[in-house]
Amino acid sequence: MTARAEILGYPKNAVEKMALIIAAVIMLIAIFGGFLAPHDPLLIDFRSKLEAPSWEHLMGKDGSGRDVLSRLLTGAQLTILSTFAVIAVVLVIGCSIGILSTFLGGWADNLLMRIADIWLGFPPLILALGFAAALGASLEAAIWALIFSWWPNYARLSRMITADILSQKYIASASALGVPTWRKVVFYIIPNAFDVLIIQLTLDISAVMLAISGLSFIGVGAQIPAPEWGAMIADGRNFVNTAWWVVAYPGLAIFVTALSFNIIGDMLRRELDPTLRRNT
Amino acid sequence: MTVFKKFTPTASILALSLALPAIALAEPTGVLIIAENETPENLDPANATNSTVNQLLVGVYDALVQFEAGETSVSPQLATEWSVSEDGLTYTFTLRDDVMFHDGTRMTADDVVFTLDRLQAASAAVTNDMGPYGSAKVVDDYTVSLILDAPFGPFISALSRIYIVSKAQVEPHMSDDNARGWLAVNEAGSGPYAVANYKPTEIVSLIASENYWGGWEGDHVAEVVFRYIGEPSTQLALLKAGEVHIAPDITVQDKLALMGTDGFTVDVGAAATPLYFQINTESDGPAGDLEFRRMLAQTFDRQLHLDFVLQGMGSLPDGPLPPNWAGHAPGTELGFDLEAAKAMVDENGWGDVTLSVRYLPAIEEEQAAVEQLQSNLAQLGITVEAEGMTWPAQAATVQNLETTSDINMIYNFPSFPDPHAILNTSFNSQNAGHNGGYNWAQYSNPEVDALLNEAASSSDQAKRAALYAKAQQLIGADYPVITVSLPGSVVAMSSAVKGYTYNVAHHQTFNYMDISVD
Amino acid sequence: MNYFVQRLAFSILSLFVLVVITFLLSHVVPGDSAIVAAGPNAGAEKIAAVRQQMGLDKSLLTQFGLYAGKLLSGDLGTSWFTHQPILDDLKRELPPSLELVVVAMTINLLVSLPLGLLTARYNGTRFDDIVRVIAMAGAGLPIFWTAILLQQSFAAEWRIFPVAGRLGFDNRNFDGATGFYLMDSLFAGRPDIFADAVMHLILPAFALSLLFTAVGVRITRTAMISEFRKDYVLLARAKGAGEVRIMARHVFPNGATPSLTVFGMQFGWMLGATVLVEEIFGRPGIGRYAVKAVTQSDIHAVVAVVLVVGLVFLAANLVVDILLYALSPHKRSGS
Repeated sequence: MTARAEILGYPKNAVEKMALIIAAVIMLIAIFGGFLAPHDPLLIDFRSKLEAPSWEHLMGKDGSGRDVLSRLLTGAQLTILSTFAVIAVVLVIGCSIGILSTFLGGWADNLLMRIADIWLGFPPLILALGFAAALGASLEAAIWALIFSWWPNYARLSRMITADILSQKYIASASALGVPTWRKVVFYIIPNAFDVLIIQLTLDISAVMLAISGLSFIGVGAQIPAPEWGAMIADGRNFVNTAWWVVAYPGLAIFVTALSFNIIGDMLRRELDPTLRRNT
Repeated sequence: MTVFKKFTPTASILALSLALPAIALAEPTGVLIIAENETPENLDPANATNSTVNQLLVGVYDALVQFEAGETSVSPQLATEWSVSEDGLTYTFTLRDDVMFHDGTRMTADDVVFTLDRLQAASAAVTNDMGPYGSAKVVDDYTVSLILDAPFGPFISALSRIYIVSKAQVEPHMSDDNARGWLAVNEAGSGPYAVANYKPTEIVSLIASENYWGGWEGDHVAEVVFRYIGEPSTQLALLKAGEVHIAPDITVQDKLALMGTDGFTVDVGAAATPLYFQINTESDGPAGDLEFRRMLAQTFDRQLHLDFVLQGMGSLPDGPLPPNWAGHAPGTELGFDLEAAKAMVDENGWGDVTLSVRYLPAIEEEQAAVEQLQSNLAQLGITVEAEGMTWPAQAATVQNLETTSDINMIYNFPSFPDPHAILNTSFNSQNAGHNGGYNWAQYSNPEVDALLNEAASSSDQAKRAALYAKAQQLIGADYPVITVSLPGSVVAMSSAVKGYTYNVAHHQTFNYMDISVD
Repeated sequence: MNYFVQRLAFSILSLFVLVVITFLLSHVVPGDSAIVAAGPNAGAEKIAAVRQQMGLDKSLLTQFGLYAGKLLSGDLGTSWFTHQPILDDLKRELPPSLELVVVAMTINLLVSLPLGLLTARYNGTRFDDIVRVIAMAGAGLPIFWTAILLQQSFAAEWRIFPVAGRLGFDNRNFDGATGFYLMDSLFAGRPDIFADAVMHLILPAFALSLLFTAVGVRITRTAMISEFRKDYVLLARAKGAGEVRIMARHVFPNGATPSLTVFGMQFGWMLGATVLVEEIFGRPGIGRYAVKAVTQSDIHAVVAVVLVVGLVFLAANLVVDILLYALSPHKRSGS
């Protein structure tokens, strides 16, 4: 789509340029991080646990004597990929339901949207605990729990967009010409919805990432020894006093990633959302 | 909710203290504040097997006999003396005649029989360790007989968890739930402390009981407050700020740091709560193979675990029983030898095997042990997949042979310091996971069962010790378990706390009835 | 009015669906509460007996039928661990969480609405950029992370605020009628306890609200920007009306309405997120209760918590709907 090429022209200031660069770097780390790690992220050495940062171990060691930097780089994959997995699935499921709901119309439409409304209030943490107990605590359980909780956002959003598009005159003409539903969806609805959805998507990246780390905190999420960032914070939270680096660096990683994607989302909204065009 | 008056010196005590200065009848003063990370479910003595319930009740109720903190054999409490019949089936207890419940009524044999009958009717957890207990009978006001269906050696010890309730207070509430609803939030005890305030998710406070039959010699606290704080870092902050006196759940690192700090004491009690890797002997996979288990038995470095995970606060295990217990047989488990294990793996082509381990992630020590196992076995080419679970979920998986994982981590918290409590619970096939028990290795060896059952039914301690020693040797030869550690019961507290001693029969409780605060 | 009846009906239906799903989920869970309830060394026979006492041996449909029946008469079941009616447990656990959420939402509104308005008015200036970046930063901080940091610094290190709990040690036996200590202390004429409760609420409420406030500022800002662009603002300015007057009288009330919807939902989400803060600050609440219920497989308690949180969410949204209707009678949301 054209947005991808244009995106390079969007940044209006240094902060936004930085955000794009950082996000790109993080995506690269997510893909190649494992190879960049200077040490084995899983190698345990209880003798040297909680060692302070040094030249050998730039970010120090965690509670089991593992190199924090290496775990951070390897863990990027887990954290970022799980976040994207949640968002991708939620996008597909949510939009399918939203678009379907619009086409069904009437009481079915109403019912689905009401269910989506109520579903939004379902406490994701509780659900995650339930999934963990059912499937065994794991990153998969956390991902399923978040997918289960998050789809209503996109259902409602896509329904709103679809309803808006369907009410346009050109759709009426298309119907008169006998254009089948599926063509309408693929060629009219999805392209027009794309802009709005991508804004929501980038903003959700930070929200989902924080949700995953929150789930790790209460015990659902990546299992040992996986270096998922949220799990690293959860593991190290007892050492805040004595070994701040165990919690600080993963926390910083989440923070910087979330912030970058938020800035990008904001930038996209400014560029793509016509209602927000600033008066120059 | 019954409310109890604060302790105030009555005229009689004042007179006594003037007339007999030799007797140091000191009025309890001060408050003891204890942090605890798990909230109690209820106050019912039927659930006293649960340590968070027990830690509240241990000073609120009395039992016929009790283990004092620091002792490994029982002392009389409500009973002054007892005798056993020739056939080992009838135990007759003589009761004290001066015991008053908190409501002022006197304890008699009726209360004892009522307590036991109620516990049986309610299928109470505390009756699980009483073996073949049958029924109780009132002989006269202060004499009661307990009758067993078969002889049971450790019976007296098991009575230490049977807290006697006041029949007069509890009977009116029996209805159709055996008073579980009422006793969940009320108490009917005779102990030195009474429950004053029960807000189970926040705070529970106990107040020294005015008419305690044992009197108040020495220094004691007037009030005991339990604050429920889940996070170790919060407990530490409160301890340092002086807002709690005892913080049992801070991290091992923090405990170590406090050891050298002025104003704080760290007590390391010799606990007898072994942590096991229980290996599924009935597995269809490699874990079911005796030779494979023999290889596994050499892949865990207990010394490393003791030195760096427990920071030296514990003792090195030598087999599934604590080494200083009667009946311990040395050398029944293999030591750490990764080279030998590697040789066995190469010889048998076990590289590329995947094993599953289930454990409780909330427990620091369990997580560290799993990590070590993962790391060691990875060097042999064996992958260990860890699955953190909640207790009920893990317990449910071992109820079925098909769903039992290759390895399960589990502690044994013996309710009383007797080899029966450990060996029978963890290795008798009657208690196999698929039979609802805690033998999560699903271990079944008829010879071992016979030895354990025989030892249970005998009261000859020397004979029992010999039988248990033999049982350990047989168990060792089957390699169903790797004993990971014997962690010490490490409690960090303010140095103002005086008189704390670990009680081996009441793990994870505090002897607040003996404590005073400066 | 017909709109509200319809809304209510659908909501109740959806709530019912939610309960069914949660009930099914908790029964599919392999956790066996009978084992926990029976205690250690119980043996298969005893566990089976306990399971029967708990009614877990009946078919799923029967169990649900019994449960739904009781639900309609207001009986949320009995917790198999506290042996108390779950309704009583919730009466004890819900107020502390609600209190926390109310204070957090207050902080949220007090910060979001003015900042949203001002950044919209001064759209594009340095001020706007700075606030936006701070808001985005705030949205990137995990709640429990913030809570730990706040506790370690403001409470443990600098001793400005208390470390944990709802009240100080001296007030430990305070028992209010409603469980909302802020209200109870005032009813009992104890402003000192009120102050104590407030001190204990500040850090946890702040930690809880940070994330939501960051989002709130941006939502409000967007809504206000749209308002500022409207014709009537141009008209008012052309007529010479003061800026403050325009903002206060017209833009703010009109712009606040769309953001109200989000704030209403945030109320429910905050309630679901209280566990993170309750754990760290040692406060009782529905979060901790829910975690304990799930870890023990206390099925009825889990379903009850979901129901209650869902109800609160529903109520918050309904309140917002009514407010929206009242504030702009010519607009009806959803038509």
